[in-house]
Amino acid sequence: MSEAVGLLVNGCATCHGRYLPRPGRCPRCGSDRVSPLRIPPKGTVLAATELSVAPAGFTAPHRLALLEASDGVRILAVVRGALPTIGSVVNVIRDADVYVVVDDGSPVPGGGPA
Amino acid sequence: MPVHVSAAVAGRVGRRPEGLVDLLVEVGDRALDLAGRKPVDLLFVGAMAAEALGETENLVPQLADRLNLEGAGGVRVDAASASGAAVFHTAVQELAAGRAERALVLAGEKMTSQPVAEVTRVLARSLAPSEQAAGASMPALAALVAQRYVSRFASDPAAFDAVTVQFRRSAQGNANAQFPTPVSPEEVASSRLIASPLRLLHCSAISDGAAAVVLERGTGPATVLGLGQGLDALALVDRTELTSFKATRTAARRAYENAHLTRKEVEFAELHDAFAPFALIDLEDLGFCGAGEAAAWFLDGRTAPDGRFPVNPSGGLLGRGHPVGASGLLQLVEVARQLRGESGSLALPSAPKTGLAQSIGGLGTHVFVTLLGSAGTEAAA
Ligand SMILES: [Zn+2]
Repeated sequence: MSEAVGLLVNGCATCHGRYLPRPGRCPRCGSDRVSPLRIPPKGTVLAATELSVAPAGFTAPHRLALLEASDGVRILAVVRGALPTIGSVVNVIRDADVYVVVDDGSPVPGGGPA
Repeated sequence: MPVHVSAAVAGRVGRRPEGLVDLLVEVGDRALDLAGRKPVDLLFVGAMAAEALGETENLVPQLADRLNLEGAGGVRVDAASASGAAVFHTAVQELAAGRAERALVLAGEKMTSQPVAEVTRVLARSLAPSEQAAGASMPALAALVAQRYVSRFASDPAAFDAVTVQFRRSAQGNANAQFPTPVSPEEVASSRLIASPLRLLHCSAISDGAAAVVLERGTGPATVLGLGQGLDALALVDRTELTSFKATRTAARRAYENAHLTRKEVEFAELHDAFAPFALIDLEDLGFCGAGEAAAWFLDGRTAPDGRFPVNPSGGLLGRGHPVGASGLLQLVEVARQLRGESGSLALPSAPKTGLAQSIGGLGTHVFVTLLGSAGTEAAA
């Protein structure tokens, strides 16, 4: 996994949980043995929704997808294109402070299998 | 020592001209009348967004001043959209510990003086920072939960419509309801999409409203039998389950244990249906049916007022309206009034002796479950 393309997550050495980066201890077991690692930037779509009214700072219709990436990491991502099908695999990137679904799941360079 | 509800008042829910303090004073004054103007030791107030939406501060002294309760003590309690239940729990625990004899418990919310976009923004502050950054709102996350529920249990999506239809029908008998007009399944299914698959009539409204109860030491038809609360991970992505709220399961287990009751002894419930699918999830999380089974209960009428297990005979949040910080106490008022025989045209044909109220704060992050009844008269807390 190249440093440049993987999604940065936290890995817990105590419970082996993987989760999106956040300050503090492991949210699952409370351990402080947490270190950053990278997972493939892909996720399976668990659910996706289209909001008819966009929140401030976004344009309508605003779309969101709930993804499951490798190692059980779940991601709430903004969808800029069409609403993805439930069960499909999509590519996801981190853009500033949000995760974004970038396409319909076609391979990204160095992305590797999800 | 036991604590019971000796007076219960629901104010009219909807778009009200009054401000938050006036809404609370109206119901508080009526509750004090019903309780015979006996002296009150505690004035406890629940509200979620008294500052951001209600444009007021320092609620307890503001209300004590208007209600002539300067001799009492009290605090404001906040647990987001479960504030009305949280303040009830807090007051019960003070009385049960013997620190006071009688409490006036108020809860209210003023939401309609702000534009809808501002209300949505304030409510979304309950969500995790990462969810807010992605432009998530309460309806957005509720929609994702609803979709997972439908895919996991292969549920008939018409069950969501049936929830709204049942609650709007019940609200017809509720003089305080914001939506006392029935709707057909077709009207629900063709209402405007808010966050697919949730439509306008699957979502509770923006409302003003308030409720009041007087709590006293001792027993009665609406004695507090048990209290329980639970928390869950703030962000949806950090939850172990997406089609169930762990906070409700925790709160229910604690409330049943506290009451020395099982779910089988509960005869009806007022559940937190901020979104129609939540009514299904709530019924399952409280143990009244198995995971994925609630859809059938709503579709075949088991949850109707004359059904085997009546749910939200008052019309629930979908029929009554959802003044967020007031809803938890409005539910408890409805349960207490059923038990006290004060429900008028909303009275359940089964004349129940034990009822449950469940109130959700945030997106399933903080849940309060309360058991009221005459059976057992166990002391809570
Ligand atoms: Zn851990």
